[in-house]
Amino acid sequence: MNPLKKYLFNERNGNGHALGPIQEIDVPMRRFGEEEVDYVVIGVGSAGGVLLQRLARAGFRVLGLEAGPFWNTERDWVSDEAGSHNLYWEQLRITGGTHPLALGANNSGRGVGGGSVHWAAFTPRLHPSDFRIHSEDGVGIDWPMTYEELKPYYEQLELEMPVAGPAYYPWGDPHGYAYGPHPMGGAGDVLIQGCTKLGIGVSIGGPVAILSGSHGDRQHCIYRGFCIQACKVGAKASTLITHVPDALRSGAEIRDDSMVSRIHVNKENRVTGVSYFDVHGQEHFQRAKAVIVSGYAIETPRLLLNSACPGHENGLANSSDTVGRYLMAQAGNVVLGRFHDLVRIYKAPPAHALTEEFYETDSKRDFARGFAIQTVGPLPIAFAKQMMTAKGAWGWGLRRIMMDYNHWAAIALLGEILPWPENRVQLAEAKDRFGIPVAKVTFGLHDNDEKLIEFGKNKVIEVMGAAGAEEVVQETRFAHLVGAARMGTDPRTSVVDKYGRTHDVANLFVCDGSILPTQGSANPGLTIQALAARTGDYLIAQGESIFNTNHRDMMQPAIRRDLAPPGTYGRGVPRLANLTS
Amino acid sequence: MKGRTSVQPGYYPGFSTLGQQANWDEATRATVLKRVARSLELHFFTPEEAPLIEAIFEHILPQIDRDEKYRIPIVPVVDERLHTNRLDGYRYENMPPDQEAYRLGMQAIEEIARGKDGRGFLELTPLEQDKLLRTLHDGKPEGAHHIWERMPVHRFWMLMVQDAAEAYYAHPYAWDEIGFGGPAYPRAYMRLERGEAEPWEVEEQRYEWEAPEDSVSDIYELISGHDLHQATPGQGGTH
Ligand SMILES: Cc1cc2nc3c(=O)[nH]c(=O)nc-3n(C[C@H](O)[C@H](O)[C@H](O)COP(=O)(O)OP(=O)(O)OC[C@H]3O[C@@H](n4cnc5c(N)ncnc54)[C@H](O)[C@@H]3O)c2cc1C
Ligand code: SF4
Repeated sequence: MNPLKKYLFNERNGNGHALGPIQEIDVPMRRFGEEEVDYVVIGVGSAGGVLLQRLARAGFRVLGLEAGPFWNTERDWVSDEAGSHNLYWEQLRITGGTHPLALGANNSGRGVGGGSVHWAAFTPRLHPSDFRIHSEDGVGIDWPMTYEELKPYYEQLELEMPVAGPAYYPWGDPHGYAYGPHPMGGAGDVLIQGCTKLGIGVSIGGPVAILSGSHGDRQHCIYRGFCIQACKVGAKASTLITHVPDALRSGAEIRDDSMVSRIHVNKENRVTGVSYFDVHGQEHFQRAKAVIVSGYAIETPRLLLNSACPGHENGLANSSDTVGRYLMAQAGNVVLGRFHDLVRIYKAPPAHALTEEFYETDSKRDFARGFAIQTVGPLPIAFAKQMMTAKGAWGWGLRRIMMDYNHWAAIALLGEILPWPENRVQLAEAKDRFGIPVAKVTFGLHDNDEKLIEFGKNKVIEVMGAAGAEEVVQETRFAHLVGAARMGTDPRTSVVDKYGRTHDVANLFVCDGSILPTQGSANPGLTIQALAARTGDYLIAQGESIFNTNHRDMMQPAIRRDLAPPGTYGRGVPRLANLTS
Repeated sequence: MKGRTSVQPGYYPGFSTLGQQANWDEATRATVLKRVARSLELHFFTPEEAPLIEAIFEHILPQIDRDEKYRIPIVPVVDERLHTNRLDGYRYENMPPDQEAYRLGMQAIEEIARGKDGRGFLELTPLEQDKLLRTLHDGKPEGAHHIWERMPVHRFWMLMVQDAAEAYYAHPYAWDEIGFGGPAYPRAYMRLERGEAEPWEVEEQRYEWEAPEDSVSDIYELISGHDLHQATPGQGGTH
């Protein structure tokens, strides 16, 4: 048994929840019962965790309904690949199109913390150009905001997670990180060697939301390499450990194992509450003055489509017919190289070095936008699966190549795929165990995407070769999801405005990865959490008017750094003067 | 290789991840030990189906080089997944549910075998069995086309290989074979670069490793009929 006695807040099992070896929550959780709350947040993931924390700290009565469990990290998480499948959204979805996406473990989390529990924790920002790719390159669509509007929230969340990285990061809007970078593992060394040979700049040791030194009640990284299986150490940031404890201390309630099936709207076109199923399959109605959907790019549109009702026949907040459309994944081709010397790629966090040298549109190439190259760290099962596609390995050939596991290094492409209306989420005929139609996901590439992937993949192969690999192979794949309930200024072509408020229903919001209009070549998690903090500030500034008017005030709120979880602001080494403004 | 079996194939003689279990956390230890001591009972595959599916997996992920006692259960793991309907979170629109896919696939393999000279798959020699399965890998099955119309052959192939890999490489005996250090919490890894072994890991000792002669799976060829831009079943995330 763990010698540290944990706090008790979960009446259901009485064991309490460990959030890392030394982190504890010392207060019981508030229970609203059937009372009406101010906000229901659907999904306590990357965005939901931050929103819950901000709203609770500002004094709102806020309830998070989360489909998955509230993790006890010591009891529920393991340093084991096959033993970690329950971190992912494993329930049925149908995938199709010309380039069907792998779902489940490839992109969708489930449980408090959502995708931030199993992410690799790369946390680059978007570049300023990402917010206006239509104006600059005639592709995709512009964001309804500029980089400058989001920048203070990037800086803020980088402190709240916090992010470790180099003192000077040269790409996009150059900036620095307040916490020092990490040492290199085998993949990082390969990326540095290959890039250096080719004259390509590399960022080493970050940006990653992984502690390079102990921080409050969280320990530093121990380089065990199981980030994607959830960090038992508590070194890697997840909203479960960065924001949820403060949310609970500030009076939020989280109901886990609670799957929301429907959002209800009354005759005045205002949301009144949600229906959800508890762990026993019992259906409940929860009243709320406003609702925020934070279920990510598949479950969010699924829920909106399934909430169709009179006045919203095509799905809730879908007068534009964009709910479910413009779903995006990033190109994530993994390039594997065999080296004469041993690498032992399983050590160190998979995420620890990258280059954004090819991020921007380059007129010398025959496609718009660009890509990043990042380290990855496949554990044995993931590596075996990569070899079955990359080399067609099976039988004795699979056994042979696996015996060479320690000789292989892996780095990966992260390439921008543009938003297309026919890449979408719809409702399938099949139903889940609650009788809710499951999501059907359709995905395909267009000309620009294919050219970008071809060029990017070859560039990663070139880097791997320059690093000295004797043999180089690659596996095609896609990473991340965003879009499918995009934000925009025009209600005819977007679902929500720049604060996440749906154009169609004044007290219904969407805030998660699904509102991104385009995705750049940055991993989406930091942007998602920054947007959530910004939406939080907006809702707090609007106060009661969200609950009792349909008035849409588009005024930019002031950033509320004072609402950050305590102890996260003002630490670290300020790298840029304006960090402390 | 017939007759030459060993406790631990691979280049890391004497390396034992299980020997490190005192340094693992309790939950991880319980998960891994349960896997090692797992029941071999089948619930999904019927007693009639069991010999066939076992024979197939002996080729998909062969282990006749391992001492009987040190073989890694694969069929029971697949069986449990199918029995408890544990999904990977998705199904291709052109694929039947996994359970049906396995039944159809077994039927097809048996049909292809019998289509040649009346012998069932189990009556073929190991080399003939290997060659038959290879036609599925190559996307050129010699028969049962009515089944492959309902289920793309490469998708069925990938489903089997990934299920096999997921069972085999989840096992500590396989970690010892490939020199993977295994669980490392709370102890940590400290030697991150240049492939250096931890004090408790074993240095690689290579030798000329050969696959048995009566097999055709020790060659690498991309799976044809498999568009290179297609994701595989059960693919995990990376970054
Ligand atoms: C292996 C892997 C590695 C990754 N690495 C990185 C990385 O390095 N950097 C990065 O930035 N991103 C990474 N990502 C992506 C990142 O995890 C996601 O983009 C991010 O977590 C999405 O945030 P979100 O708030 O939109 O949704 P999520 O974090 O997924 O949260 C959604 C939550 O809503 C819940 N939910 C959904 N529907 C309902 C419902 N109807 N009722 C109740 N609850 C519901 C879900 O259970 C879930 O907990 C990675 C992803 C994977 C799979
Ligand atoms: S490598 Fe570091 S951040 Fe990743 S799981 Fe291990 S301790 Fe956590």
